Amino acid sequence: MMFWIFAALLTLAASLAVMRPFLRKSADAAHGDQHDIAVYRDQLAELERERERGLLDEGEAEEARAEIGRRILGLQKSDASQEAANGNQGALVKVVAIAAVLSVPVVSWATYQLIGRPDIPAQPLAARLEKDPAQASLDELVARAENYLAENPQDARGWDTLGPVYIRLGRYRDAANAFRKAIDTAGGTAEREAALGEALVGVGEGVVTGEAEAAFIRAREHDPANPRARFYLGMAAAQEGDSARAGKIWRALAEELDDASPWKGAAASALADLTGGSPSQNDDAATDSNSAYERQQMIEGMVASLDAKLRDNPRDAEGWRRLIRSYVVLNKPSEAKDALDRAVAAFGAGSEEADALNAFAKELGVSSTE
Amino acid sequence: MSVELGHFALILAFALSLVQASAPLVGARLGNGRLMQIGEPAAITGFALITLAFAALMLAYVQSDFSVLNVWENSHSAKPLLFKLTGTWGNHEGSMLLWVLILSLFGAMVAFFGSNLPPSLRANVLAVQGMIASAFLLFILATSNPFARLQPAPIEGRDLNPILQDVGLAVHPPLLYLGYVGFSISFSFAVAALLDGRIDAAWARWVRPWTLAAWAFLTGGIAMGSYWAYYELGWGGFWFWDPVENASFLPWLSGTALLHSALVMEKRGALKIWTVLLAILTFSLSLLGTFLVRSGVLTSVHTFASDPARGVFILAILMLFIGGALALFAWRASALAPGGLFHPISREGALVLNNLLLTTAAATVLVGTLYPLLVEAVTGDKISVGAPFFNLTFLPLFLPLLLAMPFGPVLAWKRGDLVAAAQRLHLAFAVAAIAGFMVYFLVDRATAFAAIGVGIGLWLVCGAIADLAVKAGAGKVGPVVGLRRLWGLPRAMKGTALAHAGMGLTVLGVVCVTTLEAERIVTMQPGDRVEISDFSLRFDDIRPFTGPNYSEEQAFFTLFSSGGRQIGEIVSSKRFYTARGMPTTEAGIETLLLSQLYISIGDATSAGGLVVRVWWKPMVTLIWLGALVMMIGGTVSLLDRRLRIGAPKASPKRRLATAGEGG
Repeated sequence: MMFWIFAALLTLAASLAVMRPFLRKSADAAHGDQHDIAVYRDQLAELERERERGLLDEGEAEEARAEIGRRILGLQKSDASQEAANGNQGALVKVVAIAAVLSVPVVSWATYQLIGRPDIPAQPLAARLEKDPAQASLDELVARAENYLAENPQDARGWDTLGPVYIRLGRYRDAANAFRKAIDTAGGTAEREAALGEALVGVGEGVVTGEAEAAFIRAREHDPANPRARFYLGMAAAQEGDSARAGKIWRALAEELDDASPWKGAAASALADLTGGSPSQNDDAATDSNSAYERQQMIEGMVASLDAKLRDNPRDAEGWRRLIRSYVVLNKPSEAKDALDRAVAAFGAGSEEADALNAFAKELGVSSTE
Repeated sequence: MSVELGHFALILAFALSLVQASAPLVGARLGNGRLMQIGEPAAITGFALITLAFAALMLAYVQSDFSVLNVWENSHSAKPLLFKLTGTWGNHEGSMLLWVLILSLFGAMVAFFGSNLPPSLRANVLAVQGMIASAFLLFILATSNPFARLQPAPIEGRDLNPILQDVGLAVHPPLLYLGYVGFSISFSFAVAALLDGRIDAAWARWVRPWTLAAWAFLTGGIAMGSYWAYYELGWGGFWFWDPVENASFLPWLSGTALLHSALVMEKRGALKIWTVLLAILTFSLSLLGTFLVRSGVLTSVHTFASDPARGVFILAILMLFIGGALALFAWRASALAPGGLFHPISREGALVLNNLLLTTAAATVLVGTLYPLLVEAVTGDKISVGAPFFNLTFLPLFLPLLLAMPFGPVLAWKRGDLVAAAQRLHLAFAVAAIAGFMVYFLVDRATAFAAIGVGIGLWLVCGAIADLAVKAGAGKVGPVVGLRRLWGLPRAMKGTALAHAGMGLTVLGVVCVTTLEAERIVTMQPGDRVEISDFSLRFDDIRPFTGPNYSEEQAFFTLFSSGGRQIGEIVSSKRFYTARGMPTTEAGIETLLLSQLYISIGDATSAGGLVVRVWWKPMVTLIWLGALVMMIGGTVSLLDRRLRIGAPKASPKRRLATAGEGG
């Protein structure tokens, strides 16, 4: 409503501006020639100065003076013709004036009807972020966390929390930045370095770049057993064409880890790809399928990371949904079923979240053991 | 509400501009004073409305309101406040809004200060301004609306092109637009005079300050753009003969000619046709520049988004205004009464030569700019017309202009004496010649270019000083009287000298840097040194750094003199802007007096080294300092009492001091 009042006021002001000349008592039409005469007077004065300074001799000055005089005389001649034009075209003037005044509101309101969006309010970011978190979307929550961290960049826990969310949103570069900040402020740990490496693999679209490999190596230095770092280091070796080393790493992982670890499955299937029908380097469509293969491995790695995270932090319904969907997509029905069981257990069977998860899984063709 | 109110204000301004374009024109034809007066309140209110719209858009940028499509496309919540503000015009839609904002500002100024203009001239000028404003407002509303909305609003924007995230964006576009659009006033005056069929000394006196102001702004805008490209693009070049640069240079060339023509017209009533034609051409070239840059015909950092509909629309505006004005000119020009006669060797003659050379130079630049586009349009071949073409065509035209420049102000009006003029300049010539010889024998014997160039630059600077000295009566009166006379010289005269000297400084800078520059490209490990000119540069180390919306690798260097004394530390970096995933280079620059040491870092090599490019650029800052002096010259000249409109009558004594010749 306020908008329409202001719009009406603006329109009124603009229309009044057009009407203004008609509200005055008389239209004073000054004479143009006086301005010209002032200019010519200046020129005469200047001529004198030039003569005094010796830039002109007497004869030239006289000539110039005569020329300026001729121009002043020329002005007077044109006067008479001007007067005649000011006849009385009252009716025409009135029509033009009314059309001018009316066109302002008509054109503006009609155009605004066509292209304006009065229904959409202004949405400054700060106001959006102050909304009740329960109503906020994931994007808004992330932005809120970003704002908080921009002011409190020393909060390593904040970065630790935000990083995986970025990975989930596919914002790998931001994720890498977040983990780097966490490492800068609170020091490197195996988990942080491995997470950084994973984000960098995301940036590289599945390729374990030198930068990512360095991060995984640092993670292994912190904790030689860290399964995520080891899995990706195996992937690095495979990508470099060192199948023997890759196989060794993955085999060790698959053997050492207990069944509950999601990395066991990931390592096992990577190993299967490596030894089985995986595309070789001299395949016809080598590059294409290689990158598809890399991406596949990256996805496996990321799913395993998510699984590991949900073990530590199981009250995350959205995370469980993603995990279950991922296992279905990767064609691992038993892992999907296992994930659903764990999720239901985490929320307590019969709880609202558990029911929702069950319903979600059912659509994907997964059902829990109960 | 603020966003939609801004949108509504813009639409209202469009409606108002239609009235401004028509009612005063009808009034002038009918001789009705009231109808003619509609132009003034319409222009002032229109300016207020467009300011409101612009403020609303700027507020949306500051508040990161991503429900505005334009803000979402070009901003980011983590962007520093300065770039949120300047980002308002760092995109196609916003920059067009700035364009019309400045257009309406000039229109409002004519309305506000124009009370002593003849009513019909004022009405016609404001009507032509109204036509330009309505055409561009329609363009904005129909094809480039900055107030288009986005629902639901995303939570984060796509960020501004990193190259534009620089203080240069706060200065370069506004200055350039003040120049481009300022020439619209000269254009409107020319068209109004043709409509009226009356053109006289008062007209010229009116046009000159607007032209002067536009010229000063354009000079500053071009120089700022050049300096920005120099330090931001990481190549260390100051001028590339890039079509977009040429687009801004063309109106400068013809605007410079216009400035001098208007002077002759005001003083002597001559060169009327030249002045009117140049006024039309200068703004036409400004429009052409807008078309080339905004239509997407050329791809550069200035092309924010290309959309064929926009190109066609601007082309239609272009043809309407340029074609219309030239047709009017063809129809009416013959009716313009010829002005005073003059001898070929005279101030007028010198200025005609100036006009001829400047317009021919503009024509060659125009050909060089458009020819590749035409070839591509017709045959599909991409050809490039680069520096060699312009060096071969533009320089031979500009060289005689520079040589003749100091003669102009010392020649008398109507009938001059070349020998007497040369006598006044003999000292300046001697200084330039000696300096040229010294450069040849002491600095650079390989080619004569440096010597000739330095000689010409000093010839311009000393010629300007000699001009003032002679006018102050040097040699005839004592130093005290001389200085007092110098101080008392009309500002227009001092402005001329400053502008001409500024040109000389720019020439000096260009010549020194193109002939005497040194460049080294090396791969460096931390601790390595590289020798360049008389300096030694040590690469210390490279460290990561995180900015508000970018991450960066900063390379640290220490600069030593040949004697081993530490001169300074230089940081050069490579940035990576995360939102757009775009890298930029930030050159490390150390200014030593007028020269600069310029470092740009490249990629790291596999062995842990860093590719480093180092330039020694002697006297390079003179290029832009010269432009600054030109700008100051223009401003000083603008402050001349004679040009200030509506100034009260001077006392006879003051009048003597101020009514002089100008330039």
